[in-house]
Amino acid sequence: MSKPVIEIKNLEKVYEGAVPVHAVNGINLTITEGEFTALKGPSGCGKTTLLNLLGGLDQPTSGTIEIGGVDITALSENELIDFRLRNIGFVFQAYNLIPVLSAQENVSFIMLLQDRPKEEREARAQQLLEAVGLKGKEGQRPGQLSGGQQQRVAVARALASKPQFVLADEPTANLDSTSTANLLDIMEKLNKEEGMTFVFATHDDRVIKKARRIISIEDGKVLSDE
Amino acid sequence: MIFKVAWRNIWRSKVRSFIVIGSIAVGIWAGLLIIGFSFGMNNERTASAIGTTTGHAQIHSEAFDLEPVSGAVLGDESAVDQLRSEVENLPFVAGTAQRTVLQGMINSVKSSRAVRIMGVWPEDERAQTTLPMTLVEGDFFESAGRNRLVIGEKLANRLGLKLRSKVVLTFQDAEGTLSRASFRVSGIYKTLNTTWDEFHLYVHHKDLEHTTGAPLVHEVLVRYNETLDTDEKTIELASALPEDLSVMSWKQVNPELGFADDMMAIMLVLVLGIIMMALLFGIINNMLMAILERRRELGMLMAVGMNKSKLFLMILLETLMLGFVGGPIGIVLGDLSTRIMMHIGVDLTSKKEGLAELGVQSIIYPEIVPEYYIIIAIMVVATALIASILPALRALKLNPVEAIRGQ
Repeated sequence: MSKPVIEIKNLEKVYEGAVPVHAVNGINLTITEGEFTALKGPSGCGKTTLLNLLGGLDQPTSGTIEIGGVDITALSENELIDFRLRNIGFVFQAYNLIPVLSAQENVSFIMLLQDRPKEEREARAQQLLEAVGLKGKEGQRPGQLSGGQQQRVAVARALASKPQFVLADEPTANLDSTSTANLLDIMEKLNKEEGMTFVFATHDDRVIKKARRIISIEDGKVLSDE
Repeated sequence: MIFKVAWRNIWRSKVRSFIVIGSIAVGIWAGLLIIGFSFGMNNERTASAIGTTTGHAQIHSEAFDLEPVSGAVLGDESAVDQLRSEVENLPFVAGTAQRTVLQGMINSVKSSRAVRIMGVWPEDERAQTTLPMTLVEGDFFESAGRNRLVIGEKLANRLGLKLRSKVVLTFQDAEGTLSRASFRVSGIYKTLNTTWDEFHLYVHHKDLEHTTGAPLVHEVLVRYNETLDTDEKTIELASALPEDLSVMSWKQVNPELGFADDMMAIMLVLVLGIIMMALLFGIINNMLMAILERRRELGMLMAVGMNKSKLFLMILLETLMLGFVGGPIGIVLGDLSTRIMMHIGVDLTSKKEGLAELGVQSIIYPEIVPEYYIIIAIMVVATALIASILPALRALKLNPVEAIRGQ
């Protein structure tokens, strides 16, 4: 049996205001190693908030999130930054690559933050770019790559730090159907061959069809878990 | 790689970076020109005063400093010779000249004025000062004759005197009794210091002795081999002489000149400080704009695990690099411009009269002052460091989630 990577218990996130909004409302979830999971739901259902909480980018109002046995809700801000660097890979909707760095340098940069030696950084960056089908594009800057290629660089970057899992927030939202299919194939391959755990927040049917576990969220609650 | 990112980041908005780098370069260039110009003007004024009138130091009896009466002499002829010999034996002393200094009055047909009468040994003055070279009419006791007088042009004009005009000088003799003697103008001098010219006149020591009854030496002027570390040399000179003698550096003899010299260094640092302040705000504005434009990217970096110290370092490096590019350009431009002006001079003939009052010629030759290059380099680095603090703090305050969304 696969070991749990993420364990969420009674998670709540309330945005205070004139009318308090329960973006996440008592969610309990366990995500195990090697899962290819999609969090789906309409806009405003709370899936991105949940993803931000899982990524340690936001603090819950109550509840706990254990990642690899560490309760990240109890970590200080600096501890969280370091935890994210070593345990979580991120893929963003708008790619968010560093425009002044080449594809290879973008991937290497995360490893630089981890203080890994130069040789290791370069070798792994090349290996990852090859894995996402960008061999020969290592020296190109984001502005010289298509949206799909940029997102593949972002996937390679997310994997560069050897994280426990990758969180992807609407990774295909800005891509055409061909690029989406390519990207999903690559992520599926990395999931199957390297056992990397992927958690998507999406309302893209193409992603949902590929997912082996689909968690529907509505009004901050888990509606279904298939 | 953080260096590489920082370097490339400053070229993301080329126009903006060029403007900031340009303003740093222009600021430093202007600063160096001001420094070169000020030093050129002040050093010329100082060199002129030292060369023509004060020397690097002067030795008097303590009594003369308290009250410059005729009896407050340095000693008899042999004592003065011995004193000069001792002083000239010091390794940093180039030469000495002795003078009689009497307070007195000059009366012409037109008017009368209080003056300081300098009884000089013309050979000494020619060897140790440039005063004889400032003559605009007549000569400096070269022609034969008795009771000759060399007078400043400004004083001569006030008294309506020309060459060969007759005047009467009133002064104390060796016993302190007032004596009168008539002199004839044999030379008219004009130094850069019109205030000096208006108050000092020169006579041959022998002509004075006829009236005073004995050679009176009140002052020994000392010239060093170079105008460097004059305060230290003066202290060393004083320590080598008996305690009852007073040794004054040119700054003490001419306090306003010394004050101007000391104040100039402070003023120039202040001017540089003001230039750096202006640059500071320019750099801060540029970096704040850069942070604002790169919110998403900075948010992403924080999200993926770039810690605060590395983020701070990256912004600090970007700011420093702007200074490291603009600083050397400004220094090279300033150095070249100053060197060119050192050759051609800055012509301020239209302000000739005012400059003469200050003891400065109408063509200023700026000077290169290497120490200030180091001061400027340090100030540029300090300015860049200070300028990076606010933008870096702004970046650190970003919320990664909001920044990634572009909020």
